[in-house]
Amino acid sequence: MKGNFLTPSEKLYAKLKEHELDFFVSVPCKLLDELIKLIENDSEVISTPVTREEEGIGILTGAYLAGRRPAIILQNSGIGNCINAICSLLNYYRIPLVFITSHRGTEGEPIEAQRQMGNATKALLKAVNVKFFEISTPEELHFLDEGLNKVYAQGSSVAFLFPFSYWK
Amino acid sequence: MRRFEAIQNIMESVTDEIVVCNLGHPSQELFAIKDRPKNFYMLGSMGMASSIGLGLAMSINEKIIVIEGDGSVLMNLGTLTTIIVNQPKNYILVIIDNEAYGSTGFQTTFTSKGINLDKIAKACDIHKTILITKEADIKEVMERILKSNDGPYCVVIKTEKGMPDNITIIPFDSITIKDRFIRSIRK
Repeated sequence: MKGNFLTPSEKLYAKLKEHELDFFVSVPCKLLDELIKLIENDSEVISTPVTREEEGIGILTGAYLAGRRPAIILQNSGIGNCINAICSLLNYYRIPLVFITSHRGTEGEPIEAQRQMGNATKALLKAVNVKFFEISTPEELHFLDEGLNKVYAQGSSVAFLFPFSYWK
Repeated sequence: MRRFEAIQNIMESVTDEIVVCNLGHPSQELFAIKDRPKNFYMLGSMGMASSIGLGLAMSINEKIIVIEGDGSVLMNLGTLTTIIVNQPKNYILVIIDNEAYGSTGFQTTFTSKGINLDKIAKACDIHKTILITKEADIKEVMERILKSNDGPYCVVIKTEKGMPDNITIIPFDSITIKDRFIRSIRK
């Protein structure tokens, strides 16, 4: 908290709480550090780090089957680590998961190596039929309402991409 | 003992527990042995059964039995560390090790080359790891574990390759498997 103002991570987490998401897995990213700490310090939700994003999809599928509202917190590079699980577990069984994704390789990226996956991320999500919303500033968090209202009604997963500009 | 006999013995011990089963022949055999809504049959996403079971175990108090194979555990070894870090008391991972990728034509896995999954589980601090090599031991071990609530447990059952020749595919689609499973576990 900076004075009376919420940080971008706090604003995002407030939205996730508002939508009653209650089970999180995470793989870290520098941009997600504060958000992951907020989740881990919240005794009202269940959370665990995972060793690989694909494993996280499996764990959240179990959580959903048990009646939870789960989300994975991951860097966009991790989308590449779970393509098969997205297709043959989430899509095939219609398991609605929420992807909260830091989008590396976008404007402001200092690490050249992030650009390849950064450029491929949207095409990958399209290829596996995961609807996505880009949220470039905290003012655009209303897209989260739109996406989350659909996710459970339609039984299909949804991804939210947060480029560098969101976290400033 | 083949995997089929191992699953038969496991299911003779099971009463009301949730069972998550690895894709391919293991799920088809489980279906033939004892179909029930509380069985979650995987039809794809190899390696994910142990993780799906973990998510269930972290969410509800019911006992969760995961039936995995050696090839699929080797594909998702990291999850053994996630299991122990989260310490789900109601979680029982059963790895049926026939040293082969049975559903794709019985190509050998690394467990045929000296890799011991029970040793890996113990090295991941799953201290309650039990190695079973005799069919007669399965029921006794499973019944003892199912009476306790001090997991996580890992049971590695070594079996021969092969399966009965009358095993057929599961006649349910993915959505039917999911919907009846959800109805049976959500109170």
